Amino acid sequence: MTTDLDNSSAVNESTVSGEASISSPGNQTAGPSEKPAKRKRNLAGMPDPDAEVIALSPTTLMATNRFVCEICSKGFQRDQNLQLHRRGHNLPWKLKQRTSKEIRKRVYVCPEPSCVHHDPSRALGDLTGIKKHFCRKHGEKKWKCDQCSKKYAVQSDYKAHLKICGTREYKCDCGTLFSRRDSFITHRAFCDALAVETAKSQPEDESPKKDQQPKPQSVESTPQSTSTASPPPPPPPTITTTATIAPPVTSSVLCIVKSPDLPEISNSNQDSRPVLDNSPPVMAAVTGSCTVSCTSTNTGSTSSSVFASLFASSKILQPPPQQQQQQQQQQPQIQQQTIGFKDLIRSMNVNQSTQPPDLTLPSSSQEPISLCLSTNQGSSIFRTAGPELRQYAPPPQPTMSATALLQKAAQMGASASGASLLRGYGLDGGRLDDGDGGGATIGLGLGVGYDGRSGLEELMMGNPSVYGPKHTTLDFLGLGMAAGGGTTNGLSALMTSIGGSLDVTRAVSSFGRGGGGGSEFGGKDMGKQ
Amino acid sequence: MERTHLSPFTNNQTTSKGQSIQTYTDTGGGETCPDDDKWASRLLRECAQALSEKDSGKINHLLWMLNELSSPYGDCHQKLAYYFLQALFCKATESGQRCYKTLVSVADKSHCFDSARKLILKFQEVSPWTTFGHVASNGAILEAFDGETKLHIIDISNTLCTQWPTLLEALATRSDETPSLKLTVVVTASLVSSVMKEITQRMDKFARLMGVPFEIKVINGSNRPLGDLTKEELGVHEDEVIAVNCIGALKRVEVEERGDVIRLFSSLKPRVVTIVEEEADFTSSRGDFVKCFEDCLRYYTLYFEMLEESFTPTSNERLMLERECSRSIIRVISCDDKENIGSGDCERREKGNQWCERLKEIFAPVGFSDDVVDDVKALLRRYRSGWSLVHDQTNSNKDSGIYLAWKEEPVVWASAWKP
Repeated sequence: MTTDLDNSSAVNESTVSGEASISSPGNQTAGPSEKPAKRKRNLAGMPDPDAEVIALSPTTLMATNRFVCEICSKGFQRDQNLQLHRRGHNLPWKLKQRTSKEIRKRVYVCPEPSCVHHDPSRALGDLTGIKKHFCRKHGEKKWKCDQCSKKYAVQSDYKAHLKICGTREYKCDCGTLFSRRDSFITHRAFCDALAVETAKSQPEDESPKKDQQPKPQSVESTPQSTSTASPPPPPPPTITTTATIAPPVTSSVLCIVKSPDLPEISNSNQDSRPVLDNSPPVMAAVTGSCTVSCTSTNTGSTSSSVFASLFASSKILQPPPQQQQQQQQQQPQIQQQTIGFKDLIRSMNVNQSTQPPDLTLPSSSQEPISLCLSTNQGSSIFRTAGPELRQYAPPPQPTMSATALLQKAAQMGASASGASLLRGYGLDGGRLDDGDGGGATIGLGLGVGYDGRSGLEELMMGNPSVYGPKHTTLDFLGLGMAAGGGTTNGLSALMTSIGGSLDVTRAVSSFGRGGGGGSEFGGKDMGKQ
Repeated sequence: MERTHLSPFTNNQTTSKGQSIQTYTDTGGGETCPDDDKWASRLLRECAQALSEKDSGKINHLLWMLNELSSPYGDCHQKLAYYFLQALFCKATESGQRCYKTLVSVADKSHCFDSARKLILKFQEVSPWTTFGHVASNGAILEAFDGETKLHIIDISNTLCTQWPTLLEALATRSDETPSLKLTVVVTASLVSSVMKEITQRMDKFARLMGVPFEIKVINGSNRPLGDLTKEELGVHEDEVIAVNCIGALKRVEVEERGDVIRLFSSLKPRVVTIVEEEADFTSSRGDFVKCFEDCLRYYTLYFEMLEESFTPTSNERLMLERECSRSIIRVISCDDKENIGSGDCERREKGNQWCERLKEIFAPVGFSDDVVDDVKALLRRYRSGWSLVHDQTNSNKDSGIYLAWKEEPVVWASAWKP
């Protein structure tokens, strides 16, 4: 039990360090890191109250080498050094005698009145320190890196930068690497990793969307998504993990999970036995954390997210007790969520008798894989949202290629009686309708927009052209003839006939008639060529 | 990448291209075999010429030929042929407006935050096309804002705020007190306005992370003339220091209204106005179809070549950018200007010099400081070779902006102005 608690705290720590690394991958400079972390650093400059406070003017402070050798013009920062140097020229030299008194400690204040270190109470203990401070904070940044154009006021900072410039990579929590600082910064602002992070502290906020590329499995379980932030091997992701993930998300849910029920959960954990029926609070906690996890890792596009979270929540709701058990067995498999879930659900089947009945989804327990897939491909099933899924996400199940989708869309379009293709494309100026009944049309429009060859061929000819580029010949043959006939009637006939039907050949033949017969550009001839 | 299913198309196209070139030289009689690289622009030019001469036989022939050779998935010449053919076809059939609306609604349908974000970030990663203007403008804005504590940027652009994270970071690390920033984004493309909610949330969070007091407001400026914006709407207050940042926004204003918009900027009493526009002139030649076509073809040839060298051949992002172009091309070539009053998608670009003439009536140019120029140069070094920064040779005034050049051709112009 104690180990479990330790684990949970370990998780917490790693989460925290994860957070820290989020804000601090900025680099050599203050960067994005310093501002947010501005809370109580060790305040520099808390000098001995007895020390002698020295206030130098900016010029004096900046005057490097104000003690100059009259022989060789070499400058020194301190008189002592010059004196030692003069000795080399065989000139008279004189080191200051130490005063008999015990040397009094000196501290230096910054000459800039608005600076915190201008106040003697925050004076810095050495001259070099105050000099660098003054340069960095109030001086001109005259050292500029040619490579990245970063500027420094202190030469040594600049030199240190030169050594590492370009060698450093910036890594976002989403896993993307950047060699350039500015693109890293821009990415940070737009990346979901940041959105998720902030969502945790502000649960009332919107549900951040995840890029499709990061593993889709993050939908299924929050613990994993966090553990990716903290590279060290995650401790046994028992249900306590789920609970500890919830904390950043806030709220009373978390409290329930954390304090009184933890032992129970751990118990169940060790027993590998579902304890749901005799510990309602746990159930509540689990439900709570599940819902939270859904909102914070909501994947996919707006409209599909509803379904995604439905599935996600139902999935998580079902297996909690098994989850512990299963994950204990299969820790390395965490990433393989599909497998994991299959097992989860299988194990759930085994334990079904102990499950509260309302938690089961019969079909899904029969076909676990399809359950998982339905989340991954939520929007292709419900098809209200976006073709962007098809377009961007490396399709989890590449069984349906873009072409196939398009084909299907075309079939749907064709079978929808009286559906005008042109209307489907919005040619009549109306917007494509999201609404009911328009499914076929929408599918068609989307398919063409992204996966098909949008543009002339589809617009003018209808989808069949997509499958045989050669057919385009016919199209332009038709066009050519129509135009050749010297009328635009043929063209409008083209539009009309295509609007009315998807039958290309009919359209073309109507062209032939409209255009007044084949010229030397007859379709067949060209086709043969 | 994936999308291997495309390869059959490409193969088909190449074979048909070979065949058809053969055909062309056969029928072309005495003409020499077209330079392999230039076939597209050559055919397209001839076709545009034939269109202006209303030589229907030639038009048919060339349209047919182009249709045989072109492909939206081929090399960049095939792509150019494809999209310009589409525009020529629309021109010939006077269906430009309809086709444009269709393409817009298709794009609109598939547009969402994720795709828009991915597209713009990827583009910025592989090409300085947009980041050039961002770095130059941010440099000028930061210098103009130096020492000020209450900042207000009026950002008229469709760049999804990708310009601002680095500026926020620069403000956060400013040596004096961190100022507060108010960002008023005027979105002029309807496509972009739909994703701005997501964007503002992210900007808010990022500013919080940076520790910069921040406020963001989005004004939908599509479907209305930009010149109608008022001071009140923009939330301009007396105690703020204003910067107006205009990225590719002026070209979307109807040619006749551009003066009004510039006067509006001036009425806001900005500390600095930054203007970035792509270097093309589709305005002075708008009465001359062939000339305008040539200008358009020249510009998009550069752009498509740039895309080809920047992206992988099967990149989705590249395809989306090309489709964006296809809409602009149709707008320029096949649509009547009269038809797009107030819709905010004018494509009558002007070149840096032309913008300078307009801007100089009201503003004085501010040269970019050496530091900013260095920043831009450092930026360009991080991309592939081929990019450079050039100053306008013809303009005696050194302050009239800087150009991003792709293979020695100026392609984007950035400038800064003050009242």
